[in-house]
Amino acid sequence: MRKRLAAFIRTEPEGGPSSAGTSVFWILASSASGLLIIGWLLPWFVGPYDAGVGYSAQDALVSSPTGIGTILIYILAVAMVILFVSPFAEAFMRFRGRTFGPRADRIRLYLGIAGVVLTGVVWLLYRVLGEEPLFGSLQPGEISDSAIWLTMYGFALAALVYGARPWVIGRQTLAFGTAVLPFGIFLPLMFHQAPDFLLWAAGSLAIYMLLALGLNVVVGFAGLLDLGYAAFFAIGAYACASFASPIHNIHWPLWILIFLGAAIASLFGAILGAPTLRLRGDYLAIVTLGFGEIVPDLATNNVFNLTGGPNGISGIDQPHWGFMDFSESPRWYYWSLLLVSIAVIVLLYNIERSRVGRAWVALREDEVAAAATGINTTTTKLLAFAIGASVSGLAGAFYGSLVTVVTPDDFSFSVSIAVLSIVVLGGIGNIAGVILGAVILTFVIFWALPNMDAWSTTLSSTVHIPALANINFSSYTYIIYGLALILMMLLRPGGLLPSRARRIELESAGESESLAAVQGIA
Amino acid sequence: MALLELDSVTKRFGGLLAVSNVSFSLDRGEILSMIGPNGAGKTTAFNCVTGLFPITSGQIRLDGVSISGLPPHRITKLGIARTFQNIRLFAFMTAVDNVMVGAHWWMKERVWDGAFQTKRARSEERSVQQRALSLLDQLGLSRYAGSYAREMPYGLQRKLEIARALATQPRLLLLDEPAAGLNSHEKVELMQLIARLRDEGLTILLIEHDMRLVMEVSHRIVVLDHGEKIAEGSPAEVRTNPRVIEAYLGTGASEATRSA
Ligand SMILES: Nc1ncnc2c1ncn2[C@@H]1O[C@H](COP(=O)(O)OP(=O)(O)O)[C@@H](O)[C@H]1O
Ligand SMILES: [Mg+2]
Repeated sequence: MRKRLAAFIRTEPEGGPSSAGTSVFWILASSASGLLIIGWLLPWFVGPYDAGVGYSAQDALVSSPTGIGTILIYILAVAMVILFVSPFAEAFMRFRGRTFGPRADRIRLYLGIAGVVLTGVVWLLYRVLGEEPLFGSLQPGEISDSAIWLTMYGFALAALVYGARPWVIGRQTLAFGTAVLPFGIFLPLMFHQAPDFLLWAAGSLAIYMLLALGLNVVVGFAGLLDLGYAAFFAIGAYACASFASPIHNIHWPLWILIFLGAAIASLFGAILGAPTLRLRGDYLAIVTLGFGEIVPDLATNNVFNLTGGPNGISGIDQPHWGFMDFSESPRWYYWSLLLVSIAVIVLLYNIERSRVGRAWVALREDEVAAAATGINTTTTKLLAFAIGASVSGLAGAFYGSLVTVVTPDDFSFSVSIAVLSIVVLGGIGNIAGVILGAVILTFVIFWALPNMDAWSTTLSSTVHIPALANINFSSYTYIIYGLALILMMLLRPGGLLPSRARRIELESAGESESLAAVQGIA
Repeated sequence: MALLELDSVTKRFGGLLAVSNVSFSLDRGEILSMIGPNGAGKTTAFNCVTGLFPITSGQIRLDGVSISGLPPHRITKLGIARTFQNIRLFAFMTAVDNVMVGAHWWMKERVWDGAFQTKRARSEERSVQQRALSLLDQLGLSRYAGSYAREMPYGLQRKLEIARALATQPRLLLLDEPAAGLNSHEKVELMQLIARLRDEGLTILLIEHDMRLVMEVSHRIVVLDHGEKIAEGSPAEVRTNPRVIEAYLGTGASEATRSA
């Protein structure tokens, strides 16, 4: 039983050094399932039973249409149900040690395509044509576009996942990008009726993702444990705040500041990295932990009258370029962050596969051999620190502008830990894994944990268990968070999407010694 | 002038004299073997030459210029490459990537070239990869080009280490017990490889326990015992040197051989 469970959770194919894996398949399949159910239920959430608020395939179904519409709607419903349960069915089959054949995949591909088309037809009929010739008695009001969009996306995703299963499994990264990118770009449109809250959340997700991507360079690629990474985030944010706020009466535009933030942070990355060069593992962790504590403390103490003390710097400028008024809607931040994130991801991905990326991995694998093979361990490590810090500084610049106020508390140890958790949980050393980790952990940290109280209250009144409402979940958030991390690491020690190296490495443990230790100077 | 000179090199670990006042030199195109019982200080001597250990006293010169005190990567750039007795490959890098790391120091690609995948980066990356693949091919490793180093059979890992060392374009190659753990077939291949490298003009400093291999390929042999050089000479000279026999077989052994 345990073995079966383990085999089930470990979604990688057994054995073989191939980089192919089914993780992305599972993620996309369950996302499709999730989107379908969200699209189905969204009208109820957005405005339960209010006339004229919601519309979805579900509305169409429950209002018992007649005529040809019936057939279409039922096809839609069947497609939805089948694609919704598909991942569960697959998981169950896997658990039993069997799989679906290619025919099942083909059927689901057709269902997915049919779903996209039919949902589109429904949308056209009601939204564009403004009539319902096919649907008999249905009396829809305003259509909830979000529901339509999400449903269509769910169907399209399902069609992709089941229709191109070998491709999704063989070219994980590409498939993941292809599936997720349009969603990211159209997010503000899909949720145009939803409150700006979602875009704020997406913005903070992007910032945390950038932080994690930067930390991944240091921890994942170069293998240097950094527990004070928030320091560079702070440096970037304060740099941005100083040059775009009333505090020193300088008002530079954001697009300059993101480069400035990145440059200053990378400089500090190199400076702070220098004394740690001979250290490794635990020692390095302690020293970087110190940096992480010092920087916010300096900010609190208003060093050189630059940082505004414990209250930080407020009134940070928000850009206004033509019709793009950043203060008016977070969607501009969202899109800029998306653009910057994509750029960072592409650049880091390129660096990983280039000369320097190889040197980092070599350093991580065996510092002594790397040095004896001609790698300058000093500059290579400093470069990792600098590049990692620059991404963090860039994120900091955005953060300052987004929230308009930075205080020392924003860069506490818990930020470093959260970012490190994202990297480790997502899959250390694997960019795709880190992105996924950022999505999941920011969701948990910023949404699930803070909302636990509200949910339990709602649940208690629904199921009539008053005790549930009395549990003060907010005081247990860290316990829940910690337990989730422990559980995760026990079940999937390589992270959600482990890098190929990590996956094999887990079979054997052991850290290589440092060059300095071998040379007898540390 | 000799390519490499060790001039009364001493390396002390606390109270232990691992290498004691050792001098010898190595001419271009020569294969010099360093032999001696375990713990004699051979590997330590290698580590001193490659800059992994700072030496306690003495001097190491390459082309007449002192290299003592230089960091390991600088010494690699000057043309000294090595393998390790206990294989030190980059376990979780593919064989090609392991070899490509050897090309690291002479590649011109900068960080931004890599980040933006400039033409320079792409063309250099391609040509270096090509070279790495052909190097793997020459050593009979092409089948494993895409596997992680640690997934390769032991004997091939030793070869891969040599390939990585060769990728640094060395003038002097230091091999630390390259035949250890190889089967007899692999040993023959290794011997051929060493002969070929010598023919291509590479100078080789070899630590090896397999006497047949040592006697066959070496021009000269240096014998260490307890950190000291106890003999130096041609294979024939060393073979019959009583001090060497003594060091290897214990006191009294030389008399025994003489009387036998
Ligand atoms: N890093 C080190 N620290 C302390 N002692 C060492 C170190 N490296 C080697 N030694 C000691 O130096 C002596 C020579 O070792 P070594 O050079 O490895 O011998 P070998 O000739 O077998 O290669 C041994 O006694 C060994 O214990
Ligand atoms: Mg040795």
